[in-house]
Amino acid sequence: MAHKHFRFLGVVAAAMVLTIACGGTSGGGTPTKTYKIGLVTDIGGLNDKSFNHLADLGLEKAKTDFKIQGDVKESKSGDDYIPNLTDFATKKYDLVIGVGFLMQEAVGTVSGQFPDIHFAIIDGAGTDAKSNDLKHPNVQSLYFKEQDAGAMVGTMAGWLEKNNKAKKNKHIIGAVGGISIPPVDHYIAGYKWAAKIEDPSIQVKIGYSNNFTDPAKCKGVAKSQIDAGADIVFQVAGGCGLGVLQQAGQSGVYSIGVDADQKDADPSVIASALKKVDVATYTAIKNVVNNQFQGGALTFSIANEGAGYAIDNLDVPAELKAELDKVLGQIKSGALTPPADIPA
Amino acid sequence: MPLGSVVFAFAVGALIVGATGANPFSAYAGLLCGGLGIGCTQGENPALEISNTIVFAIPLITTGVAVALPFRAGLFNIGAEGQLLAGSIACTAIGIKFNTLPAPILLPMVLLGGMAAGALWAGIPGVLKATVGAHEVVTTIMLNYVAQWLIRYLIIGGPLQAPGGFSASSPIGPGARLATLLPHDNSLIIFGLPSSVYRVHTGIFIALVAAGVFAFLLWRTTLGYEIRAVGQSQRAARYAGVSVRRTIIVTMLIAGAFSGLAGAIQIAGVDHGLTDKYFSDTTGFDAIAVALLGLGSAVGIVLASVLFGALHAGGAVMQSDAGISSSLVGVLQALILFSIAANFLSAIWRRLPGTRSAPHAPPPATPAAGLMTEAAAAPTESPSSA
Repeated sequence: MAHKHFRFLGVVAAAMVLTIACGGTSGGGTPTKTYKIGLVTDIGGLNDKSFNHLADLGLEKAKTDFKIQGDVKESKSGDDYIPNLTDFATKKYDLVIGVGFLMQEAVGTVSGQFPDIHFAIIDGAGTDAKSNDLKHPNVQSLYFKEQDAGAMVGTMAGWLEKNNKAKKNKHIIGAVGGISIPPVDHYIAGYKWAAKIEDPSIQVKIGYSNNFTDPAKCKGVAKSQIDAGADIVFQVAGGCGLGVLQQAGQSGVYSIGVDADQKDADPSVIASALKKVDVATYTAIKNVVNNQFQGGALTFSIANEGAGYAIDNLDVPAELKAELDKVLGQIKSGALTPPADIPA
Repeated sequence: MPLGSVVFAFAVGALIVGATGANPFSAYAGLLCGGLGIGCTQGENPALEISNTIVFAIPLITTGVAVALPFRAGLFNIGAEGQLLAGSIACTAIGIKFNTLPAPILLPMVLLGGMAAGALWAGIPGVLKATVGAHEVVTTIMLNYVAQWLIRYLIIGGPLQAPGGFSASSPIGPGARLATLLPHDNSLIIFGLPSSVYRVHTGIFIALVAAGVFAFLLWRTTLGYEIRAVGQSQRAARYAGVSVRRTIIVTMLIAGAFSGLAGAIQIAGVDHGLTDKYFSDTTGFDAIAVALLGLGSAVGIVLASVLFGALHAGGAVMQSDAGISSSLVGVLQALILFSIAANFLSAIWRRLPGTRSAPHAPPPATPAAGLMTEAAAAPTESPSSA
């Protein structure tokens, strides 16, 4: 038995030597200052059609505009966050970007170990195990005013109800959240607030699935809202929320997507509330290239083109389009300020 | 045979990388650097890469043993993942509940608690197999899902969810944590990096002891003899006075304890609490490949675990250095498993000129059957040396 293992070792070692010998061709010199940017995805991977994909788009755009070397690591599981962030940090990258709040604790840990390396994290901060912000000066949090995007789709829903252009026109709309955490509630706050401005008689039903991944859970919550008369439902629950869009399609009512443009997820999707992660990523990189990196929060909103909305599978009447443009302009100028907390 | 499978996988992997227009050599150079810290060209720290590989290998060793032991008794434990999760739940629950106890008391409590929970999780299929003959493949697979959804419930709206609303538990008490080998200190510089980046923890010793216990149990105890006897022929074992039912149940209980220990070590040594990463953890499934590749022997399992740990750790470095998706690692692991399961390399070998003619060669054994016999540990595929 023993000699067999030694033989195993021997050939592995031989294979290694061979690979090293042949691997020397890669790598090259770095002329003047090329900024090195490392992007670490969460477990969604690059093809998630959402945050990770958008962050990569931002990186690609930055690659064409600036002299940077942009490298990506896809995390296959939560086990990979710390090694992936640490690897970029040990190689002295100029900016290491973590995508999504799932990486908060990992960013908190690694940013403490490498105080000289700049980190940015989408939708989160560098935290300890209890989600307390460690406020490391080398970490930039890229937050979004979700209420801005929520207000745009809320305006649309309220206008449709007021003008009897929805499916049932009972002046009831719904919102399905994943878990009641700030980014989710911000969306719902703007949605409800704006819908009420358009249609003061409107009733907004709000439910939570306590889940971000299982469409069946969200489908159930959406169904109860639709059964209670809602004919426009807004999903704020990530992958779980796809169930909201499907249920709306099956029940013949309208739905609204979230984060990325979800036009193709279901024909019932009339609009999407957008978090422009690509803009945020690009801006963070631009700041580093211009030597303007700052720790702390950087917030993206309609005013700086970091939030917005998309009209999807609906022919929007000219009056509605005019109304949307008006509200967008007012939020942009500061005349209207959507609330962060869900109004009563 | 297992070595051939690894070489085969890397050769086919190189063809796949080449077919996508990338350079297989730079891919494998990235894997080698990220996995073993050898030949790094882009500023990676070799000590850190080795540390990461060991961290990934630790749970594979214990779960690999948990798959290999039942193999010897002719049982397919596909439920190492569920047993690992049960162990991680018990470890977390105990570690939070008694978080003020000092380490000498709490650490044994969480590790033994994890082993007990894993044993319980594997004991159910064991009892069902021994009493009503329910096939353990089906029952262990199903219990994986039960454990996954139990964790979901526990940390999303359930009793273990941390206040604050995220899908994670509170952290376990400091006394329930396995120490890292190097001090957890951001200001102490070792091998050019803060020593806290090296996450290798004392769980490595527990895992190696577990592998030793497995070997001792299997080859030096009456129970081990009974396990092997049941695996070779239940009828013969029964004739020799071995209680087949008892052996099946005891084997599964011990296997579950090994898996549960893996879960407890992951919580106590790395994560310090349950997180949503356990919804999609695959350690217990990788363990099946590890057990097969390691030929069901303790040394083989440790080596195979290091290989899989190195592939895992190396994938991310390969992606950023060579621009090749780390999914290639999944392809390599699947190819290794595939070629072991298909067992076609030895069939090809046997037909090569210069080796014995087919009628004299032993019939190709299925890999699982091979694992159950002592003979499989000998190099059966090279009859020319006889």
